[in-house]
Amino acid sequence: MGRGGPSPNVYFPPGGESDPEMPPGSGDRWPKILGRGDSGARNVWIAVASTTIFFGFLAIVAVRSPGWPEIKESFFNGAEFRASFPVILQKFVRNIFIFCVAEVFVLILALVIAVLRSLPGPVFTPLRIMAAAYTDLFRGVPTILVILLLGYGMPALNLQGIPDSDYLWGILALTLVYSAYVAEVYRAGIESVHPSQVAAARSLGLTRWQSMRHVVLPQAVRRVIPPLLNDFIGLQKDSALVFVLGVVDALGKAQIIQQGDFNFTPLVALSVIFIAITIPQARFVDWLIARDQRKRQSSAAV
Amino acid sequence: MRKGLLVLAVLAVVATACAPKSSTSTSAAAGDCTPDTMDLQTPGQLTIATGNPAYKPWYGGTSESGSDWKSGKYTGDPHTGEGYESAFAYALAEQLGFTRDQVTWLGIPFTKSFAPGPKDFDFAMQQISITPQRAKGVDFSDGYYNVNQALIADNGSPAIGVTTLAGLKDLKLGAPVGTTSLDVIQQEVQPNVEPGVYPDLDTALKDLHNGQLDGVVVDFPDAFYGYADQIVGQFPQLSGGQEQFGLAFEKGNALIPCVNQAIATLKSNGTLKQLEDKWLQTDASVPVFS
Repeated sequence: MGRGGPSPNVYFPPGGESDPEMPPGSGDRWPKILGRGDSGARNVWIAVASTTIFFGFLAIVAVRSPGWPEIKESFFNGAEFRASFPVILQKFVRNIFIFCVAEVFVLILALVIAVLRSLPGPVFTPLRIMAAAYTDLFRGVPTILVILLLGYGMPALNLQGIPDSDYLWGILALTLVYSAYVAEVYRAGIESVHPSQVAAARSLGLTRWQSMRHVVLPQAVRRVIPPLLNDFIGLQKDSALVFVLGVVDALGKAQIIQQGDFNFTPLVALSVIFIAITIPQARFVDWLIARDQRKRQSSAAV
Repeated sequence: MRKGLLVLAVLAVVATACAPKSSTSTSAAAGDCTPDTMDLQTPGQLTIATGNPAYKPWYGGTSESGSDWKSGKYTGDPHTGEGYESAFAYALAEQLGFTRDQVTWLGIPFTKSFAPGPKDFDFAMQQISITPQRAKGVDFSDGYYNVNQALIADNGSPAIGVTTLAGLKDLKLGAPVGTTSLDVIQQEVQPNVEPGVYPDLDTALKDLHNGQLDGVVVDFPDAFYGYADQIVGQFPQLSGGQEQFGLAFEKGNALIPCVNQAIATLKSNGTLKQLEDKWLQTDASVPVFS
């Protein structure tokens, strides 16, 4: 499914001290990509030239390959693209519905799991074990298997009251899988809050729960927003997997056209749609991280 | 800076060194149709691709151990020569001058039968319906089977007893992706409820039995294999004329004239008809939706 799960060492902006690798004001993305040196203009020109030469070579190799006309015809077919793009886009509304609903449940369920797993004291051991088992199980099983097993298994039980909507089971399966990942992100956030803060809150007379609710969680969640967004992007892409249940989402529509016309262009069209929605989000995450870093640096300077 | 230029130069050399693979296919003269002279994927072997699992009644028999296929209640094994397509494949191979041992089967996902680029099989035989759209992506042989579509349903489904296309409009129907069964639903029924589209027949039938679908559209001969309780009816032909199955070849494959010649012979000497009678059950008394 092409996504790495966040490990507990998710990105945290280095607190306080400024990063020695990073000259001040270089929080933007482009200077990092272009490289840095003494002369800005000269560097930009070198970067542009080397990039052009490099990708130019790759393009020439691709276009001059003997299979290129065939590839162009079946993957980059203009007429096919124009015909399929609007209908696929129309069905993409369903993906949006699926991943938005799933994300809401993921954010809630994952937080509950993370809090359960962070409960201190021997009394809560069974809850901690349950929460750990949950994350182990759903991070271990491939997403597509969870979708297939739930989507075709549960309705087959034929029980009264068990709904048989493919949407519902698809959303539920995605929620279960992504909650496992996101719970770990939350937990990393919770553990990043220094214990002295809890000690301070407790000494002020707050209960354990109150200090979690009013002191730890607000800081923890704010710190993990970038990795949370990363997981949301992963969820958006995986919403296409729900097609295996017979939901005609954007991928379903793309495959219907692909197998009807024996042409792969609809899949390229769908990729374009996914890229168009995920790249702005990725840049937004970059911006959030950079802003956070600037804030921390300036507050450290005070 | 110097080092950077050096790295780029090396990359450029590597890139240009990715020289195009020299094309190995040399087109044989048409009419040159013997196993020794035909331009085959593997010399001396006829490599035929089909799906795995391979479904009855197209593929039957019992798998021997070591086969990639696994025969079961609904599935067969192409190596057995049993089932319509398997029997047809061996008849075709014999007509072309191959022995039984010279036929190799390759299991592929359906998408691979029309993926561009060199193929690792001579042709795909997987109940592929010939359509003008698809003919842009592959070259088809002449048709080897005329197929109709039928609706199957389980007892208790609202589809049972329906005799008109209009009566199907409000039912939740389903079909596997990439089939003309789906075209039939969309073009002939034009349903008010969006049809379910599944990655394969298995998953469509699962939803039928789970009660999430009122009926599944399948190739007519499939309807007799107990996939569901009842055959509700068969569909009239699509406007494009009689639907036919064809063998799918890489574009420009030089084998096509040879194979077409062999299919024509099998048609005129009655072999195809015999195979149909033997392996494919059809029942003219199944009502056609009006």
